[in-house]
Amino acid sequence: MMEAEFAGYQVQTEFFEGPLDLLLHLIRKNKMNIIEVRLSQITAEYLSYLESKRGINPSRESEFLMTAATLIYIKSRSLLPKPENPAEESPEKQLIHTLIEYEKVQKISRMLQEMEYTELLLWRRLEIDENFANREYALKEVSAFQLAEIFFDIVKKKENEQFLYISSKNYSIAEKQAEILALLESSGFFDFSVYVARLDSIEEIVVSFFTLLEMVKRHLLVAVQEQLFGTISLYKNEAGKLEN
Amino acid sequence: MNPEQLSQRIALIEAILFVSKEPVEPGRIMEFLGIGDIEEFEAILAAMEKEHLQERPERGLILKRSGGGLQLVTKPDLHDELKQFFTVKQSTKLTLASLETLSIISYRQPATLAEISDMRGVNSSGPVKSLLQKKLIKIVGRKKVPGLPALYATTQEFLVYFGLNDLSELPSLEELTELFEEKEQPSLFK
Repeated sequence: MMEAEFAGYQVQTEFFEGPLDLLLHLIRKNKMNIIEVRLSQITAEYLSYLESKRGINPSRESEFLMTAATLIYIKSRSLLPKPENPAEESPEKQLIHTLIEYEKVQKISRMLQEMEYTELLLWRRLEIDENFANREYALKEVSAFQLAEIFFDIVKKKENEQFLYISSKNYSIAEKQAEILALLESSGFFDFSVYVARLDSIEEIVVSFFTLLEMVKRHLLVAVQEQLFGTISLYKNEAGKLEN
Repeated sequence: MNPEQLSQRIALIEAILFVSKEPVEPGRIMEFLGIGDIEEFEAILAAMEKEHLQERPERGLILKRSGGGLQLVTKPDLHDELKQFFTVKQSTKLTLASLETLSIISYRQPATLAEISDMRGVNSSGPVKSLLQKKLIKIVGRKKVPGLPALYATTQEFLVYFGLNDLSELPSLEELTELFEEKEQPSLFK
């Protein structure tokens, strides 16, 4: 009975999650003890998987190859006469340590998977209708760091655009600030990426961005992001206005 | 507390939990009901579970304690029929890559992307991003090493998702080893 129920969460994966997953699989398959495993013994088998691309995720191939290189290096070292230095961290010891750690990760993953399975049987209230919640309440203030991330994204996009003329206009932070305040006065808020995308040159974008950062810092503006990776909106900060 | 008072309180708690989307902190309810004694409150909850929800076959809901709060959820054996009624084909589950990433973060938090990728042996930016979007992890700061990489930790949503009250409920690594010792490691491949 239990088994039939638990069959639900068994995952059949087409690919190994990564080189460590494949190595652990080979160790188990050969009934080896992970602590005493001689990696040089399973190197050939690892390479044959790689060659036949059996269970190898194509987008992860480089990582599988890198581990293959490590395995071959370990094997070549084992063939050479070596002065035994137990204090030295050999690449074999390192890899085995990583494997032991990864085995723990797999165990925790399986436990989380079982917990997820049990929890998914319990249904909770669905998301309440958008209108129910006060829109302002759901907004989260963003950090200057997130603003900067979006800024660099936009600059990259702009860099690819062709400009027909070179603007000789000079921009000042004071001018920009007046312009932004006027914009906020009329519309209440604006979308950061839409605003920046409308600007003419990289220079103007840079000055505008500095102005925005300065204004956020002086609490003249509040930057809010409604969801992760979503767009950032800028609002006028009424409290900040009073202070200044 | 007379039976009438008890019924009233249970009714009110049920109503509060019914309306709430997220688990409600027991402290809030206690304060509202003017109950200072945690044992008295526990007694009400026990009565609620026993006589009104869990042990009543005609009820479809149970009282669930997770994410540090109380919540009403459906009984697990109704899962299949609910799926049929709401025509849900497959419940979305986390991918193995996401689960592995979450395993590392939950046991080593705060952890950086490099640490996670090292432990998994593969670049893990994909699962980290998807876990951020699902709000199961969050950025809690930056590590004071070159490049100032972001540090990730699990969230309240993580606790709710896995039915935990707090992180200490996760078994220790030693317990985990015992847990899986007897079971033959099933192969994911045939």
